[in-house]
Amino acid sequence: MPRPHIEPFVDRDVGFKKLGLPGFRKGIQYKMLSMDKENGSCTMTVQYDAGFKQPPGFSYSEMELFIMEGHIMIGGKKCEKGTYIFAPAGTSLPAFSTSEGALGLVFYNFGPPSFQESDSDHQNADKSQQRKMISSYDGLDWQVPTLFPQTAPGCLLKILHLDPKTFGMTFLYCMVPGFWQDNISYHDVAEEAYHIWGTSWMMQFGDLPTGGYFYRPAYINHGCFKSDLGILAIGRTDGDLHNYFHHDPFSSPEENHHRAAAKLARMKPALYQWILTNEHNHLPHDFEFPDDTYSTEGYDSGIHMHDDGTSHAHKASGAHSHLNTPKISKKKSKK
Amino acid sequence: MTLGSTTIKGNLRPKFTKEEAAFIKQELAEQIDRYKKIVAEQEALTPQREKWVKEFLERIQSRGFHVHAGLKRVIPKNEVRPRDGRPLQVIF
Repeated sequence: MPRPHIEPFVDRDVGFKKLGLPGFRKGIQYKMLSMDKENGSCTMTVQYDAGFKQPPGFSYSEMELFIMEGHIMIGGKKCEKGTYIFAPAGTSLPAFSTSEGALGLVFYNFGPPSFQESDSDHQNADKSQQRKMISSYDGLDWQVPTLFPQTAPGCLLKILHLDPKTFGMTFLYCMVPGFWQDNISYHDVAEEAYHIWGTSWMMQFGDLPTGGYFYRPAYINHGCFKSDLGILAIGRTDGDLHNYFHHDPFSSPEENHHRAAAKLARMKPALYQWILTNEHNHLPHDFEFPDDTYSTEGYDSGIHMHDDGTSHAHKASGAHSHLNTPKISKKKSKK
Repeated sequence: MTLGSTTIKGNLRPKFTKEEAAFIKQELAEQIDRYKKIVAEQEALTPQREKWVKEFLERIQSRGFHVHAGLKRVIPKNEVRPRDGRPLQVIF
């Protein structure tokens, strides 16, 4: 598991630390919210001290910044609170300064925090996505989520960034005062969120107040939900977000994973059958992104059950055919 | 957005610098402590959580369960899966 289940964590309970990594200028303090143990990617609350200045430069990792308090001048443009900045890896950002200080949330998506002074992009900068700067508070309207099934009325979204390949997204969300959702949810993807303002409650974890944060791996139950006075939060997923609603408070992540697979078989039978009836561990190919490669390396949870009741686990190297085992195939062949 | 990335792919600097490695080591050690503290806090919440779960199961059998958006369905008792001694673990 790249990042552990951190839920809930309230950053107001801890102090800031100085960021002393080479490349960064003095005047940045941070609180670490979560970190990937393998690649060092992380999410941090960051305080830019009054008078902080940084020359043009880039991060070696894809980076996102959301300004929560104060304002920052970026390339001569005043970025108020609510500004969201997305910078692909190696993409140079203009000079950066704040006269009165600012508070932000920073996401380094592929590696640890890094800054390289440069007024041009890295030679291998990620050109597949564009740098963006959005004034989310006054430049975007709240929208009803278009997820199916959908959250209860009173939970609204502003999409800040959508990864074109994974559909992972960064979004603002709010719950109106009196919001209530009586179901339990889980997802196929990891999810993290930070409360910019307000308190919400979940049946598993209790209250999450202003400054509250969670990083939740896939398939972990959360909900039911409520908020008495409403909230404003920023959230992210690392893939397509589907709400799996249910009402069993005691189901385990493994059971939830199985249930998700069963739902896939019901909801997308053609895809499910195609995956099962081809050689195990064959890798997909996407004509839209022909240079992308897909590997099962790192996925060691290949535990599965056969029709004869036996089960086993295997990794990528254990390729073999299950041509006769999928239940869908058998049912069809009996007809 | 790459929350679940398990490789260094996507970081243009292929290896950690000495300072980065030390930074990661320190932060991961603190993260373990943070995780342990959360587990203990959530463990202490268990009696209250059991009450919340009981109330939830009562509500979905009376007021209804949110199926989709504002659409609700009252869950009949025979559709509530028995606990059968299963633990109420919330942190994984």
